Amino acid sequence: MNQEISDEMLCRRVAERDEAAFDLLVARYQGRAYRLAWSMLRDAEDARDLSQEAFLRVYRTAGSFRGDARFSTWFYRVLVNLCLDHRRRGWWRRQMVRDAIGDDPERGVLERQAAPVVDPTDTLSQERLMTQLWGAVDRLSPQQRAALLLHVQEEQSTSEIAAVLQCSEATVRVHLHRAVSALRKTIGQG
Amino acid sequence: MHVDEDVVAYLSGALAPAERARVAAHLDGCDACRRAVEESRVVLAALAPGRPAAPPVDWGRYQAELRAKVAGRPRGWWTRPWPALAAAALATVVLLLTLQTSDRRPTDLATLDETVLGARLPLLQQYRVVERLDLLEDLDVIGQLDRIGTR
Repeated sequence: MNQEISDEMLCRRVAERDEAAFDLLVARYQGRAYRLAWSMLRDAEDARDLSQEAFLRVYRTAGSFRGDARFSTWFYRVLVNLCLDHRRRGWWRRQMVRDAIGDDPERGVLERQAAPVVDPTDTLSQERLMTQLWGAVDRLSPQQRAALLLHVQEEQSTSEIAAVLQCSEATVRVHLHRAVSALRKTIGQG
Repeated sequence: MHVDEDVVAYLSGALAPAERARVAAHLDGCDACRRAVEESRVVLAALAPGRPAAPPVDWGRYQAELRAKVAGRPRGWWTRPWPALAAAALATVVLLLTLQTSDRRPTDLATLDETVLGARLPLLQQYRVVERLDLLEDLDVIGQLDRIGTR
């Protein structure tokens, strides 16, 4: 099938049960879907399952895609909602683990300490910076993390992120502001 | 007013021209916001290459699993609802057992109630209203209760 066919056209064909169109959409988005899900969930098996679930929902509800937004926006909305729901279901379990870890005062103190400022030109410092930054991304709220990942990894615009998260653009800006502010504190700036 | 919430949009060039001009004008005169812009630029630039690679995936297997799910045969689908189904089945069994045993309870309870009532009979006889409980079945009587004088 022609690779120049738009995602939106492929989605319309999926609604008509064109299996080849579905296979092509999957091939186009499987990498991005898996990477985004993994970034949000930090579990490879969950990322695989939920990204497949997102494709499954596309297959089943392709007829409801009206084409008034980009297919990627619609697809990311499905995927992000699945990831957010998954995290909410596991929230109480993580709270218990977090509480148990918090019983260690030494570890708690270390976690609360601001990281020293690192020199971006120093390779070791750069690696440490990356580790600290992505660790801080994992500690963001689900909404902030989703907004940041969509912005940084998927290069989505504020309006596209708003459509994915089903909130206003002003809310997206707040999410991004708080996310970046938290990351600035982590690396000893801000 | 500071422009913190516009920093990311400003850096990514997503602001409308008028908004961008407003933010730029503010930055000219605000050290704090200028510092926030530079620090945010460092953070976003560090994140731009993306997170360290996700664990590799066998895409052939991934697609085969997906096709199976589309065809209505998801991987291990029959195992997923098992815990919930087991819990529901157990709850049903417990409920049925409870209902079956509860059929015998009224007799047992009646026996218990009669025993308690019998032990309290002398106490109940001290109340005039209890002596004429049959009157309370007559609604006309109930309606006139406020007119009944005490003797």
